[in-house]
Amino acid sequence: MAGEGSKFDVVIIGAGHNGLAAAATLGKKGKRVLVLERSGAIGGLATSYEISDGLPISRHAHLAYNLNPTVIAELGLSGKLSMRPLATIMLSDDARHVEIDGETIRFADGSAHPDGEAYKEIRNRIKKFAGLLAPLALRSPPDPGGGLSLAGAGEAMPLAALALKLRLMGKKDMRDFLRIVLSNIYDLALDDLPDGPLAGNLAADAVWGAWAGPRSPGTVFSLMYRYGCGGAPLLPQGGMGAVAGAFAAAARQAGAEIRTGVSARRVLIANDAVTGIETDKGEKISAGAVMSSAGAVQSMMLAGAEHFDVEAVRRIRNVRSKGMTAKVNILLKRAPDIPGLSKEQMAGRLIAAPTAIYVERAFTQAKYGEMPAAPIIEAVIPTLADGGDRHAVSAIVHYIPRNLKGGWDDAARARLTGLTIDTLARYWPDLRDNVERVDAFSPADIENETAAPGGHWHHAELSIDQLLTVRPVNQLSRYAFAVRGFYLCGASAHPGGDVSGAAGRNSALQLLNDGVLA
Amino acid sequence: MDKQDSYDAIVVGAGHNGLTAACYLAKAGLKTLIVEKNEQIGGAAVSTEMYKGWIYSNCSYVCSLLRQEIIRDLELPKFGLQVVPYRGRVTFSDKGEYLASYDDAHVKRREVGRISPIDVDAYDRYYQLVMRQCRFIRPFLLRRAPDPTSMKPRDVGELMFLIKRIYDIGPRDVGEMIRFWTMSIGDFLDEHFEHELVKASMAGSGIIGTGLGVYSPGTAYVLLHHYMGDVDGSMGAWGFARGAMGAVTKALGAAFESAGGVIKTGSGLSEFIIENEKVRGVALENGDEYRAPIVASNLDVKRTILKHIGREKLPPEYVRAVERFKIRGSSGKLNLALDKMPSFPLLPENGDYFTGDFSCNTSLETLERAYDDWKEGRWSAKPYFDMLIPSKIDPTLAPPGSHMMSLFIQYAPYDLNVNGVRSADNWNDETRKAFADAVFDRIEVCCPDIRQRVLHAEVRSPADIEREVGLTEGNIFQGELTFDQLLFNRPIPGYAQYSTPIDGLYIVGSSTHPGGGVMAAPGANAAREILRRNGKGDLMPALAEEEI
Repeated sequence: MAGEGSKFDVVIIGAGHNGLAAAATLGKKGKRVLVLERSGAIGGLATSYEISDGLPISRHAHLAYNLNPTVIAELGLSGKLSMRPLATIMLSDDARHVEIDGETIRFADGSAHPDGEAYKEIRNRIKKFAGLLAPLALRSPPDPGGGLSLAGAGEAMPLAALALKLRLMGKKDMRDFLRIVLSNIYDLALDDLPDGPLAGNLAADAVWGAWAGPRSPGTVFSLMYRYGCGGAPLLPQGGMGAVAGAFAAAARQAGAEIRTGVSARRVLIANDAVTGIETDKGEKISAGAVMSSAGAVQSMMLAGAEHFDVEAVRRIRNVRSKGMTAKVNILLKRAPDIPGLSKEQMAGRLIAAPTAIYVERAFTQAKYGEMPAAPIIEAVIPTLADGGDRHAVSAIVHYIPRNLKGGWDDAARARLTGLTIDTLARYWPDLRDNVERVDAFSPADIENETAAPGGHWHHAELSIDQLLTVRPVNQLSRYAFAVRGFYLCGASAHPGGDVSGAAGRNSALQLLNDGVLA
Repeated sequence: MDKQDSYDAIVVGAGHNGLTAACYLAKAGLKTLIVEKNEQIGGAAVSTEMYKGWIYSNCSYVCSLLRQEIIRDLELPKFGLQVVPYRGRVTFSDKGEYLASYDDAHVKRREVGRISPIDVDAYDRYYQLVMRQCRFIRPFLLRRAPDPTSMKPRDVGELMFLIKRIYDIGPRDVGEMIRFWTMSIGDFLDEHFEHELVKASMAGSGIIGTGLGVYSPGTAYVLLHHYMGDVDGSMGAWGFARGAMGAVTKALGAAFESAGGVIKTGSGLSEFIIENEKVRGVALENGDEYRAPIVASNLDVKRTILKHIGREKLPPEYVRAVERFKIRGSSGKLNLALDKMPSFPLLPENGDYFTGDFSCNTSLETLERAYDDWKEGRWSAKPYFDMLIPSKIDPTLAPPGSHMMSLFIQYAPYDLNVNGVRSADNWNDETRKAFADAVFDRIEVCCPDIRQRVLHAEVRSPADIEREVGLTEGNIFQGELTFDQLLFNRPIPGYAQYSTPIDGLYIVGSSTHPGGGVMAAPGANAAREILRRNGKGDLMPALAEEEI
């Protein structure tokens, strides 16, 4: 209940894109919202910085492929964003790189790829099933406690709709869906493809951000998740910071106030209900509800574990978020030159994952906290499309464990840098003496900078046992987080991470629906 | 055609599922024939003399999953089956620690507390959760898997039964169930326990027989597969068949013959005789032909379809689906004739555990690394084993004073990688010996004198098991137990109710629902389905609550 004279209805912890999506959604419904961000800049995992004067580059996340169209429409983001679709280039040791551009699959030299049709058949089948699941991302997870009441029947509606749509696809597709949905991408790809760049593409796209290898069951689902909004990779003009900027603009337009450099010390609770928040500077701000885009554990600790059922505490403590992804930005001395690729192709999404087995082997080492001999990399050179003469590479380096044996320090970071350049230089030998400067962000750095648990880009592993009704944990999946008026609004809540905005938007709608602010 | 060679039904393969199906068919009055390629019946459940005076179980080695309903229906004790429960288990670590397991809950708590006080209460929580999942799943073992795409009342009814069971367990436990069924055993144990040896002691059951590691999602379910059995109603208990595992199939064979069935051994199947998309009988390798309108194959689905039927007789999509079905060899066997009881210097003398199983795995990481070796086509440098000394309970298995030891070993690949070439042909005396040496090195952690005790050793790689028993890749479950191959997906979506595209041809082995282990449920379920389709459904005993 909002205290009398309170200036805000809702205080939101964290100005990541989900916190901002929640703020904008609430603001548009007339709620007075304050967003607190502990760092000096908004955006969380979606920020940009200048790697060189006038040269912005994404600090962590760099491509949008899962930005939810409903969120874009509801918050009016399209006018605030400029994004360019990218073709994908699968790098190959023999310089016969493979280009994947929508329905066109070919070698980079333009010749036809013999496995193009088989690849498309698999990918498009997964995309079709992804489209089927997509509506679930825009609802709170079904409440199994709804029972046989009218409300319970309402809860079951999205699942019933999914079942109906499955049936309408026909027996063949329905059977196929039920067979593959919990299986692993490695077998699915290699049942119909030889192991090579196209199998490598499916394997890599199924595991970015994940503590899982292509042989791990559940990776077909994670690929469906990635394809939830079509999966086309989009490069935002000005880096990912521009995307967060669009969310922030939408939030401000809706009347929300955003304060940076202020963090929450604790959530204030009286009589088992939220009354507001105390900042790190000791300021008490009263509000009828507090939403947290931090991870599940940090959110619980902000409220105080004593407010949580002992089983809930145990479950929250066991949420898995073992980060596996690093970011390496490389400022180049001169324009890039990758053998076998045209300038247009070099401006695409470059992936180092030549085979599915290569991807699995990288995971095999990383799961023990070791740096893999050869990680998988997704690199873009955003400057190529801008036509300037200064260039930088933005590279996601995957299977770099947060829990590195020996820990993360400058030496480990230097190894990460070396490994990244060595891996890219297999396809791009000239890179070695084209490096002007490198900024490497280990998963530990990412955790420190953004508070993402374990530096994990989904905040909580996107595995079947941490999804939907059990995300982040069983019985706390519908955003309300144990204390009346306290809500989760970040990636650790349903439907999960990626720059999508769905978690923030859904949680705001659930908060309004729960009548807490009335 | 000689009239004598005509039957109502023919079962190909006298494994426990083939025998079970045959028993039910014969008891329903069908003139039934079983053909078996080996000289003896039993498939992977056979007792033979390995070394003068030492009797052993050739593949499967312990008994728990065999459904009580089937034991009673077929009166197997009358035909000589006696299952003797065994007690205890010990897990050793490389660090010289051990953790024993006891049936008595108080003693069990004290033992866990000896090495990890914090895990004592966690064990109660863990066991309660696992047992609840067992109780949930058990009624489904003897039911047919519903076809979710079907609108037939039987399928809709089964689906409703499933939904009702889920609804009945309540919202909190639905969430726990979703998690348990999709998690890895490693994550599940990490959530509950602190001490590595406590976790390692329980993880083995999550990987036995599979091509998965302890951190592969879905392995918590596999654990269930080893907990959901019982010995005479004692859920989760395991036992020895007196006279080794051949006693199970001998009893089934005797029950079958007393119901008027005929068994012909010594010649394998050449092909199924198929005319106009209908099965007409079988042709054997020795040239014999037998005719019947119903043929039930106990061979796994890949062998049945890909090896014994010309693919031009089958829909291409079905053949493709069978090719895609995953049957992966991941385990081997080591059977040892010992001159006397080996020593276990780490253990107090005369414990219950000497009748139970032993393993040696220090941590979940040891087990996961064992899996990583297998992925690359090598046997595990530190293999997991499940070791038993059945002669401690059943003195008929070895001469007095000496002992029979049986080890199930994981992981061992079917297509062994030697110098970068992966092939089942790489299994030879030399590689088998090297494999056995790796296992002996691990046994020495708990039994330092093991090598001195061995009078005779028999090592079997997955390729050997395939050759001998006929299981593809030597896989003990006739197919991986992953969700894409369970329930209505097993073995092939749309053909999960024991039928095939060939009219009259059925698959009755562990490739079908509910899967492997000496459970006999696939055989019994298949017999029910066969009888029902032939208008004799009322002759099948009610295995489970049929009515919904």
